[in-house]
Amino acid sequence: MWQKHKTKIIAICAVLIVLAGAFWYGGSAPGLQGWTAADNTKTDNPVTAPDPAQATQTAEQNGKTQQAEQGEPQEQDKPDDATAKPEQPAAKPQDNLTPAEKVAAAAEIAGAAGQAAPGSESYSKEQGMQIDPATGKDQYNTDPVPEGKPLPVEPENAVITDEAYTCTMSISCASILEHMDWLADGKAELVPEDGVILAPTEVTFYGGESVFNVLQRVCKQNKIHMEFMNTPMYNSAYIEGIHNLYEFDCGELSGWMYSVNDWFPNYGCSRYQLSDGDVICWEYTCDLGVDVNGFYSTGA
Amino acid sequence: MANRDTFSGLHPLVNFLYFGLVLLFGMCFMHPACLIISLASAVAYNIYLNGRRAVRFQLMFVLPMLLLAAVLNPAFNHQGATILTYLPSGNPLTLESILYGLAAAVMLCAVVTWFGCYNAVMTSDKFVYLFGRVIPALSLVLSMTLRFVPKFTAQLKVVTEAQQCIGRSTSDGTLLQRLKNAVTITSIMLTWALENAIETADSMKSRGYGLPGRTAFSIYRFDDRDRAALLWLGFCGFFICCGWLAGGVSFRYYPTVVCAPATPLNICFFAVYLALCLTPLLLNIKEDLVWTKLRREGSEANV
Repeated sequence: MWQKHKTKIIAICAVLIVLAGAFWYGGSAPGLQGWTAADNTKTDNPVTAPDPAQATQTAEQNGKTQQAEQGEPQEQDKPDDATAKPEQPAAKPQDNLTPAEKVAAAAEIAGAAGQAAPGSESYSKEQGMQIDPATGKDQYNTDPVPEGKPLPVEPENAVITDEAYTCTMSISCASILEHMDWLADGKAELVPEDGVILAPTEVTFYGGESVFNVLQRVCKQNKIHMEFMNTPMYNSAYIEGIHNLYEFDCGELSGWMYSVNDWFPNYGCSRYQLSDGDVICWEYTCDLGVDVNGFYSTGA
Repeated sequence: MANRDTFSGLHPLVNFLYFGLVLLFGMCFMHPACLIISLASAVAYNIYLNGRRAVRFQLMFVLPMLLLAAVLNPAFNHQGATILTYLPSGNPLTLESILYGLAAAVMLCAVVTWFGCYNAVMTSDKFVYLFGRVIPALSLVLSMTLRFVPKFTAQLKVVTEAQQCIGRSTSDGTLLQRLKNAVTITSIMLTWALENAIETADSMKSRGYGLPGRTAFSIYRFDDRDRAALLWLGFCGFFICCGWLAGGVSFRYYPTVVCAPATPLNICFFAVYLALCLTPLLLNIKEDLVWTKLRREGSEANV
């Protein structure tokens, strides 16, 4: 019996050992190794959520059109929880949470910050946004924008004028400082001590230019590395990396996000048309925007 | 079939271990010194083995591939701290991506060239001799697959010529007629390939291939020369693996180029790597020298 099936048994054992090893290894992200997911005390599980910089657009695809259906801006559910935020700044994932629960927990923490003004369909329509009634989004998968915020302007429609304005731009990766152990090999030397890649700088721009135009010019002028990719689906550039710090370099939920006047737009940076005096902040998130208070822009 | 060189005359195990080692190291080491050692040895050995054909192959196929691969990387990869200029797409062209592209191209060419040498040295009978007893089915399939392409090309030539003789050439007539003839040839070839595979399998089976207790004739003997070569390869492999684990051959391209320091120990690793890659060439040259010396002595003695 043993003689006859020796090779088969050995082969089956080898396959099982390889599978067990692969299961134990889990993935390249920090902290995924181990037999149970509950072992991970400080890292993210693989989440099917999109990468953050694009999350301004993609997360809306998760079939969540709740905000759009409700139409009018709603009161925050739990104003009392607003104080909860400073205690859990980076949404430190607790034990025994499934990825979905973590995203939900992150949503709660970030939502309670009171910044997540929900999109207003009536306002957006009034301003001329073409919203598809079937999906509650525009043709580039963008949810309605909150009341008082500028609507996306397609880059191909933007008219660049000669009038010069100024805005302020900064680039920061301070959130990495708290998660240096998550950072990919060889990238630690790139992170400045204070996390500031570009201190707030007055920049001249011309009428009709987008956040992306300004970012590209500023990076060229200051010799800062920046790589982007055009995503036709969202009609915007997607910033893959700045200063050689790329998406996913600091955990699976990391990437670049931008805010203008302290609001993280829910659409891409090529579609945000600047106006005079805007304050643009490019920030690296390690946690799908929660650590930079921009989680709401993912729409999750 | 006569052996191409002295190294081919060694035991198949030695041949196989050598190619296993050089291919493994060639695919894993990204240090420029290792890449250059690997490519240079592979090209030299390939030219020694295949002569003019190898030179043509290097110039016509490997060189364009090297250039193409070197250009492709900076076109699609924009990582790296040293920005040289900006591409028309708006993304930066970086020194690091160019260097990485070159390194990857050299590695690709080296591995392709190593396989050229492998095919000349590791004939299918050697492969089946090594693995026929351990994994009979797989080694048969592998050697048949590897054999398939040259055999198919030869048969294609035969069939095309035969068809041409009866006026069904793929080079005359209207386009439609030529297409028809080509399709006929393809269908003939497919039928032949299937039939040939079945015939081979039946023939192997009727000769008891893979049955327990079946012996196979082989002319390979494991003698002292092979033992010495095996020891040498084992030593080189072990030493280089140690250097690999110690980080002596590490080289980082992104985001900035960082090289392992050139300590005497690290230089030792490169020297052993060079010696490993050149083993067959050195053996051959030594044998050639001995042979010419003997011939000279012989002719002098005759006089």
